[in-house]
Amino acid sequence: MNVEGLGVDLAKSSSPAFLVNDLVKIKNKTPVGHYRTPFYVRGKTGRIERILDEFINPEEEAYGKNVGSKVRLYRVSFAQQELWPEYHSASLDQLQIEISEHWLEPA
Amino acid sequence: MSSTEGLISHLPNDIGGKDADAINMEEHSMLPWEKRCHALLDVLATHQIVNTEEKRRGVENLGSEIIGNLTYYERWIVSAVNIMLEKRILTPDQIAYKTKEIADRKKNMCSLLTTLPFVD
Amino acid sequence: MTVPDHHDHDHAHPGVTKDEEPYGYYATLELAVRELLIEAGLITTDEHRRQIEILDSRSPVLGAKVVARAWTDPEFKKRLLADGSAACEELGITMYDGAHLIVHENTDQVHNMVVCTLCSCYPRPVLGLPPDWYKNKQYRARAVKEPRAVLKEFGTTIPDEVSIHVHDSNANMRYLILPLRPAGTEHLTEEELAGLVTRDAMIGVTVVKSSLVQTNRGQA
Repeated sequence: MNVEGLGVDLAKSSSPAFLVNDLVKIKNKTPVGHYRTPFYVRGKTGRIERILDEFINPEEEAYGKNVGSKVRLYRVSFAQQELWPEYHSASLDQLQIEISEHWLEPA
Repeated sequence: MSSTEGLISHLPNDIGGKDADAINMEEHSMLPWEKRCHALLDVLATHQIVNTEEKRRGVENLGSEIIGNLTYYERWIVSAVNIMLEKRILTPDQIAYKTKEIADRKKNMCSLLTTLPFVD
Repeated sequence: MTVPDHHDHDHAHPGVTKDEEPYGYYATLELAVRELLIEAGLITTDEHRRQIEILDSRSPVLGAKVVARAWTDPEFKKRLLADGSAACEELGITMYDGAHLIVHENTDQVHNMVVCTLCSCYPRPVLGLPPDWYKNKQYRARAVKEPRAVLKEFGTTIPDEVSIHVHDSNANMRYLILPLRPAGTEHLTEEELAGLVTRDAMIGVTVVKSSLVQTNRGQA
């Protein structure tokens, strides 16, 4: 398995569910409370650009969870046309954002 | 879908992609109290008294009206106070009495300063 | 003649200075919280003072130093792009609290810019505190959707054949943009190069120019 990323220590953490270049879709779920996955990427399809460390789920951290099980974070890359219908069709512009594993599903 | 559902499911700070005006390039230097506020929140985060995510959630929970009417650091300090009240680190009465004590202290200092002669 | 010690504001009243009349509601709230927590033994005055010193010590000068080093030292640049935090620590820049810095390099094919749509996450250890426009609605809402229009408002035009990568700093990473080194700077020292690098270029809303005459937007 070829894994790229910053600070990934496979001996300590659980294996990432996704690999670099995997096509992923951001889940369309709507939790109540704090979140860090903005609406403008929900339901959209992108590619894993980078695998990052595991971090405490911010949705739980916001309610006082300072320690405990963590979720894997990834950087996901989107073509701008995927996010904005009016974006110039020939453009190669991208948007890159950090998404936790529990917000991702295979596309 | 209820017309108000968006108010609940869509956080007020989640504005990526919304329409907005031209960028206002004006910058203001940080007020002294704002710097003290920022430093305080940093110390609280280090101690996990109010972690960064809690502070953010506290700002979101203020709701649009308060968010729209308070400045950046005003939102921070109110958020931090609310989180600490929630976690029972502080009580409402502690805030009430301490803020009064500070206000009285300021008043006394002011009246002292105005009665003292000028000293080079 | 003795000077009454009421002039000495430092003792017993941390942080209250007479130059701030009137001492507003929120400033009072901040002081109240701080004093209560100090009295409870949960934080100390020294910690707070130390954190103010840390805030004061940070400015875009640090980031500019990193950029200038990357421009002149290809091995450092490789390390910087592989692990931004570790490379900054090499230059004596403390990242604090395990901050994770990712550095994106501008090239002839790609121009990078950073925004935090959800709040104001910013690479504070290398740039200090963010400007107001970075924290306000207009930039946060529009930078992701219409980056080229936003860049034009900063006086920056990126050719169509160069792609723009917008980075939404929404979680645990912080981003620093490594601007393109301008042509005509081959003869400059590392220090002179650092003097050309602006905060806005390291956010990615402007580019670095070879001349010292730059648009000044009140940068530190």
